Amino acid sequence: MTLKYAYYPGCVAKGACKELHDSTTGIARVLGIELVELEKASCCGSGTFKETDEFLEDTVNARNIALAEELGLTMMTQCSTCQGVIGRVNDKLKYGEQSQRDHVNQYLDGHHYQGTTEVKHLLWILVQDYGLDALKQKVQKSLNGLKCGAFYGCYLLRGQTMTRYEDPYHPHSLEDVFTALGATPIEYEGRTQCCGWPLASYATNASFSMAGRHLLAAIEAGADCIVTPCPLCHLNLDSRQPEVEKVIGKKLGIPILHLPQLIGLALGLNPEQLGLSRHIVSTSSVINSVLSR
Amino acid sequence: MKVSVRIRRQASRESKPDYQTYSVECSEGNTILDVLNKIQWEQDGSLAYRRNCRNAICGSCAMRVNGRAVLTCQNLVGEELEDQTELLIQPLGNLPVIKDLVVDMTKFWNNLKKVDPYVSTASRQIPEKEFLQLPEQREKLQSAANCILCGACYSECNSAAVNDDFVGPHALAKAYRVMADNRDDRTKERIEQYNQSGGVWDCTRCFNCNEVCPVGVEPLDRISQIKQTILQQEKMEDSTALRHRRTMVELVKEDGWIDESKFGLKVVTDSGRDLKGLVSLIPLGTRMVVKGKMPWPWKFKPSAGKLEIKALINAVSQHLKDQGKI
Ligand code: SF4
Ligand code: SF4
Ligand code: FES
Repeated sequence: MTLKYAYYPGCVAKGACKELHDSTTGIARVLGIELVELEKASCCGSGTFKETDEFLEDTVNARNIALAEELGLTMMTQCSTCQGVIGRVNDKLKYGEQSQRDHVNQYLDGHHYQGTTEVKHLLWILVQDYGLDALKQKVQKSLNGLKCGAFYGCYLLRGQTMTRYEDPYHPHSLEDVFTALGATPIEYEGRTQCCGWPLASYATNASFSMAGRHLLAAIEAGADCIVTPCPLCHLNLDSRQPEVEKVIGKKLGIPILHLPQLIGLALGLNPEQLGLSRHIVSTSSVINSVLSR
Repeated sequence: MKVSVRIRRQASRESKPDYQTYSVECSEGNTILDVLNKIQWEQDGSLAYRRNCRNAICGSCAMRVNGRAVLTCQNLVGEELEDQTELLIQPLGNLPVIKDLVVDMTKFWNNLKKVDPYVSTASRQIPEKEFLQLPEQREKLQSAANCILCGACYSECNSAAVNDDFVGPHALAKAYRVMADNRDDRTKERIEQYNQSGGVWDCTRCFNCNEVCPVGVEPLDRISQIKQTILQQEKMEDSTALRHRRTMVELVKEDGWIDESKFGLKVVTDSGRDLKGLVSLIPLGTRMVVKGKMPWPWKFKPSAGKLEIKALINAVSQHLKDQGKI
């Protein structure tokens, strides 16, 4: 049976982290996962809509979920924040009172939220639906010897309280994927903590200090690279790494990979196609170590 | 059952910490505090920790167990060992250690004081009759009023870890509690105060406070409620944080997806008015261009459903306006 999902790309994967979209669709093709992109979807609000009003976050995302329901498919996200935000709305409406669903539906012109689908991150899809054994069998280039530090993202671990994939303080799904690809997981303090992105536009010192402590901890634990299922973490850890270095007064230079990029390398996809040259911190050390095997 | 318990020991403020492992005979139904008591009473009288009520009321016994703060008198050995092989016990984070598992909470209390955590004068000028509060008015305060000031949230707060000025989740939960109290007559000043640096906008939404709070205060949700009140004010001094929120709604309403370059210009540079903001974006912009990461406006594709989204956000905004919410 082919796995098929309603693909919710999110803003960042279509803009500053286009390589995330490219690598996600790239690995889906090789793995035989069919993705139907939700062309009419909208931004989830990245957690800020709730700060205006929870009803805004609920209606906008009920509409997003309804688009997947109309296709009869599970929604796939590939961003920790989108997952936490849309997943929470789905939990709330699906398992809550009928009156909440009715209220939201009054505003969804031409759509109807029913509560018949799930919202799942690519990471959970790989581990739960596709299976790590199946993934292992598709590996063309084992990542043997590559030391990867996971960076999960707060919304993925703690954004949802009802539907949860794992313990927010002892997660292992990313590490399990690393192992399936032949890589070595590196544990370090900070892998379950905040990258600082939500503060990056105005409280830059705090934001970059957060990123800096975790990156330093990962380097000290021996990581060759960080792998994240969240493009917002990627923005703060990669695109802002030069600022992060300034704030903490230390050189870092650690490559930050999107989860599907790491998987793509193991599946034998070309680094260029995976957008590995579109990073601020060079990923050549990772690419060389994989290609030289 | 025999349980291995690894405890972070530190003889005094200045001394170096190390770890000591004890083997304790206990049952799954024992609390973590029972285990600590057993160690102190039967094996090592020098172990220091706080306890009092044994009943999740006083808030004294919060410590880090297996990586996050809990009330040790509330959590059970059996639950902790479901997926871990030993108990790892450490003092609360973000506060200096006095000895072993006892931390100095001065900063925690001082931060609480900063939000002016008392219902203000209106209620103190005691009316002849009692100052009445309707059940609905009290209900709004309930979750925040549950706080037992245990420090668990503060221990795990990502913002408190890097930002000395941030008052912390416990203080902001209390801030909401007094701000939402109908007997308080300083709402306007409070809104301005909590909007300042060190207040609500310094929270990074890491969810740790919600996650670890043992009594359901959900400080992050209280912080969101304060933010909502701030965003409802028409006359609020503009700031990057406020622009960030307003621009998100505005751009999604226009295009469905966020045009990131437009967002950056509007939020950080105040549409070009803030020169310092503009200058701060130059290095980022340059490196994004060099690496082909720049989200150029002409490459941006709005959502195919943008008209629907606009209509939806307009209708929801109208509804919120009618309710006096925005
Ligand atoms: S909000 Fe919860 S965790 Fe924080 S001090 Fe109060 S009771 Fe403890
Ligand atoms: S959500 Fe905000 S207040 Fe709560 S722990 Fe995280 S940074 Fe601190
Ligand atoms: S001893 Fe009082 S809360 Fe645990």
